[in-house]
Amino acid sequence: MEFFTEILSFFTFSEPNVKVVFWGSLILCSISGLVGTFTLLRKRSLIGDVISHAVLPGIALAFIIGQQKNPLYLIIGATITGWISTYLVDYITKHSKIKNDTAIALILSVFFGVGVLLLTHIQHSGNASQSGLDQFIFGRASAMNMSDVWLFSIVGTIIVILIVIFFRGLSLLSFDENYSQSIGFPNELLKLVLSITTVTTVAMGVQAVGVVLMSALLITPAACAKFWTNKIIPMAILAVVISGASGVLGSAISYTYNGMPTGPWIVVVVSLFAFISAFIGSKNGLLKKHLQRNKNNTKILRENTIKLFFNPTTLGETRYNFEDIFAKSKMQRATLKKGLNLLKSDKLITVSNDIFTTTNLGIEEAKTIVRKHRLWELYISRFMHLQPDHVHDDAEGIEHVITPEIERELEKELDFPTKDPHDSDIPY
Amino acid sequence: MKPSVETHNLTVIYDKKPAIWNIDFTLPTGKIIGIMGPNGSGKSTLLKAIMGIIEPNIGYSKLFDQDLEDVRNKVSYVPQRQSVDWDFPASVWDVVAMGRYATKGLFKRLSKEDHRMIEESLNKVNMTPFTNRQISQLSGGQQQRVFLARALAQNADLYLMDEPFVGVDAATEQAIINLLKSMRDEGKTLLVVHHDLHTAQDYFEHMVLLNSRLVAEGPTSEVFTKDILTETYGGTLTTLSKVASVLQEKDFPMRHK
Repeated sequence: MEFFTEILSFFTFSEPNVKVVFWGSLILCSISGLVGTFTLLRKRSLIGDVISHAVLPGIALAFIIGQQKNPLYLIIGATITGWISTYLVDYITKHSKIKNDTAIALILSVFFGVGVLLLTHIQHSGNASQSGLDQFIFGRASAMNMSDVWLFSIVGTIIVILIVIFFRGLSLLSFDENYSQSIGFPNELLKLVLSITTVTTVAMGVQAVGVVLMSALLITPAACAKFWTNKIIPMAILAVVISGASGVLGSAISYTYNGMPTGPWIVVVVSLFAFISAFIGSKNGLLKKHLQRNKNNTKILRENTIKLFFNPTTLGETRYNFEDIFAKSKMQRATLKKGLNLLKSDKLITVSNDIFTTTNLGIEEAKTIVRKHRLWELYISRFMHLQPDHVHDDAEGIEHVITPEIERELEKELDFPTKDPHDSDIPY
Repeated sequence: MKPSVETHNLTVIYDKKPAIWNIDFTLPTGKIIGIMGPNGSGKSTLLKAIMGIIEPNIGYSKLFDQDLEDVRNKVSYVPQRQSVDWDFPASVWDVVAMGRYATKGLFKRLSKEDHRMIEESLNKVNMTPFTNRQISQLSGGQQQRVFLARALAQNADLYLMDEPFVGVDAATEQAIINLLKSMRDEGKTLLVVHHDLHTAQDYFEHMVLLNSRLVAEGPTSEVFTKDILTETYGGTLTTLSKVASVLQEKDFPMRHK
């Protein structure tokens, strides 16, 4: 209960500092969702990780030179070393035998190592204003003040404007770099826009999330969004919304538990979004796949059950009691009962006194599935050059897959055959 | 008649070793021209160098007697289908619309006329029913048609196509070659990287045979001969590759002042 009142007190801005934290995290995280969309689409996810680790020495150096925690100095320092790190990764990959992933690992650890060394040095130097510098490692939104937020909003606005202006070029660059070059788009300028915005976003974002987890905030929202849409503009907007919401929620929670770092909480929230998206996302979501599989299984059971009622001699009505049909089937009792219930509810069979009788609809369905089965047997025996005794098992599976359109094509291609490879009639 | 493509000692060095070496030819206009050669013979590299995607280390090329920058809107490049990630969030229409960016640039909005040209291009490759389809759901042949439609939307005079027949079904291959022929009949020039020797003679009126170096260039009837094919596909020249190896190992410059 106390937790909720605390959370509530966060969102009502009852304390002045809360406003700073709210706006600070909202701005930082939203921008990183937007920039991260292109990082993800250009398959540069790991570069985000390099930059975020490489800003640490920049922050430390900016402090050593300026001897104070001026946010502008820190961001400039962070941007410079972040920039150098991406440049080095690209340079090493291009001009040496070292592969991209190795270059990334190398640069990341060297820069982060140097950053930690410098930070330790500052902490031992006894400068009183250094307190809070170490919070850049895991992030502490509550350490922000109003002037930080103003700075973030100005830089953030510039970033958003740049991306909106160059949106067409950036999308094409991400999809097809060679083509973009071939129609004379300024690829180098576009890449520069992307790296400037990425490095600056990361340099600011480490305030709230910290260098260790910043890349998660860059990539995860875009990855979430991709589960919901296949269009780039909605994807970018959704990524902004998800990361903005995660930022606010995460900092609200960390604010409530006094002394908790913000970064991990924001990342926990955004990961929750990722988990939910992966599970129920409308594109490629696991739930959708699961439902589709269930639907398929139901269709297979329904068709296998009605097939039992096929009457090979008259092609007409059939009547069975449960034991007869069970003996015919190779199913479990429970499965068969489930199948019969499906048929009953679809009015393919009627039941009276434990006798199952096919309806006209059922007769047609039974014929259709047997026809598909035999057409497929004939098709694969002819085009896969299979012996007649090798075609049945395949047809047992594929008969459920054949759509009416494919069925028509099969009939046409086989010239409306009357006999299957086992010399049985194909029922029409 | 102005030549369509002219290259002068065009040389591209990859990893200190020439991928194409002294490519020097002049190609006619209004023809379907095949670029043939074994794997790794520099076919794609040649196309990219002509298109300015790779900066040549030595030499230069001219298109319609002019520099690429001056005729860029007359030239269209069709990359290899596998060179992009088809899981990208875009629809068929989105990709074909990119063809109009060539004239529209980074900022100008697409006009009604642009929309009409996009529709027409889709229609020419029989992809109209798939206009709103996500590109991730297309078959290989359909992906290739989308790339061709994008090039058509550019309304160029010269088309450079990198392996448009790879991984497509027979029906698409036939549809593509018919399309190329009708484009040729409209006076367009088509430069097509291809590797299937069986179909080459039927598809191309003119050919460039490549094996890192230029082996032959001319009308198909003259260059598609047993001797020239043996020279193209019969392996690299021993001395030439030795020189290339020394260049690479000792890090010599190819040209020095």
